[in-house]
Amino acid sequence: MNALLNIDRRVIYVLMIVVCVFALLNPMGLPISINETTQMCYDELMKLQPGDIMYMGYEFSAGGVPELVPAIKSAAKIAFERGARIVSGSMWLEGQGLGGAALEEIANMLGKQYGTDYVQVGYRPGGQMFLELGVADFWEAATGMDQDGTPLSQLPLMADFKVLQDAKVIFIFCTGTPGERQYIGTVGDRFGTPILESCVSVSVPETMPFIRSGQLAGLLMGMRGAAEFEILAGIPGSAVAGMDAQSLSHLLIIVFIGLGNLAYLFGGRKGGRV
Amino acid sequence: MRKELPIAICAVAALIYVVSTYISPTVFPAGPELVRELNVWYLLVFACAFAVGLVNLAQIHIRRITQRREGWQFSIILMSFMTLMLVLGVFTTGRGTYSDWLYQYWFVNPRATMYSILVFYIASAAYRAFRVKSFEASVLLVAAIIMMLGQAPIGEVIWGQIPKMSRWILNYPNAAGMRGITIAATLGGVATALRIVLGIERGHLGGMGE
Repeated sequence: MNALLNIDRRVIYVLMIVVCVFALLNPMGLPISINETTQMCYDELMKLQPGDIMYMGYEFSAGGVPELVPAIKSAAKIAFERGARIVSGSMWLEGQGLGGAALEEIANMLGKQYGTDYVQVGYRPGGQMFLELGVADFWEAATGMDQDGTPLSQLPLMADFKVLQDAKVIFIFCTGTPGERQYIGTVGDRFGTPILESCVSVSVPETMPFIRSGQLAGLLMGMRGAAEFEILAGIPGSAVAGMDAQSLSHLLIIVFIGLGNLAYLFGGRKGGRV
Repeated sequence: MRKELPIAICAVAALIYVVSTYISPTVFPAGPELVRELNVWYLLVFACAFAVGLVNLAQIHIRRITQRREGWQFSIILMSFMTLMLVLGVFTTGRGTYSDWLYQYWFVNPRATMYSILVFYIASAAYRAFRVKSFEASVLLVAAIIMMLGQAPIGEVIWGQIPKMSRWILNYPNAAGMRGITIAATLGGVATALRIVLGIERGHLGGMGE
């Protein structure tokens, strides 16, 4: 019992690697049902009409890539297929490079033109203040140019996007602050622009109250939400592939928790090394 | 004056912001324009803060290298890459450049790796921490298992009700608790902001407060 109570952490690490690699190399294809908050995101995007503009905010760092980049691709595909146009920006230094590449990939796949179908203004510092300025004058907030230094006046799409609330819907991809609270307070609550969010799994609990209050019009919960969105967008990719690994890794953790508790209950409740 | 002047600037700026937010532009017509101007100033100060951070970081690590303090070799690596990125970033900006390549492959991938290896620590910590030592710990354990299964497709395969149970936990007990935390933290933030504006809290000026 003592051995079960104090399994070496290296054993856990090795088993975790084995389980994840096995699941990634041998997809089981477990069924993935669509959560209601994911469906809300999809329904909101399906309201987009040709010519409408969706603003995408890449508010994340490299740690969020596996969970958020698949969601960016899916959201961009759905919006482009509806005939909508996309303007993107980032309050996180790393966000633009990571999210921007995903948008470019989908835009190239669908033959969309930079400047008329989508524009990437890139990273802009200031957090909440960037948004505050953006609702008064987005061009000024973006310092009048896109991420490559092209004046916004030379990009035809920007003629229809002078303030953030010109967006029909805002889709943000967040790993922390600045994130949904800043968008809700500055744009959503003040101008009624629907805000959709894709967040990492650890942020789901703190984001749920905004769904309940209606301040977020939809939420993709971590990699599971991204996988559901990939299915809805018709481009099953890395998030769907990661679902089997997530299933088996969660099961492994539960097995270890069970073993630890059995040893604890039947071994005199001495407790293990925490 | 080294403390009084910053406190006065802070108080005036805060007053403009508060007045403009809570008083209608018909009563205080200059408000929106003043706020807009303050926002631009903030962005400028924010951008300048990067330069201050750069100088501060350089000071700390150059001192560490010259005094051969513990880990000075890492400081050399940090200073080398910081200088390299700075030079490349200034002279070769944009996609497909050397700075972009360094950023994508020397910075982003290691950061994603650092984050992803958390799964191993979480697995090990969950095994050691989730013990049924009390009623509260048991409730936490059951909720954690439901959430873990509910967030993965395997949960639905095991029992169709598990995703519904995990959604209920997220929507009700979790949302209620998070609302309480959010409201309390916001009230705390307002109190702290008031203390800063009134000059009671002076920690950010290098002082010790009251």
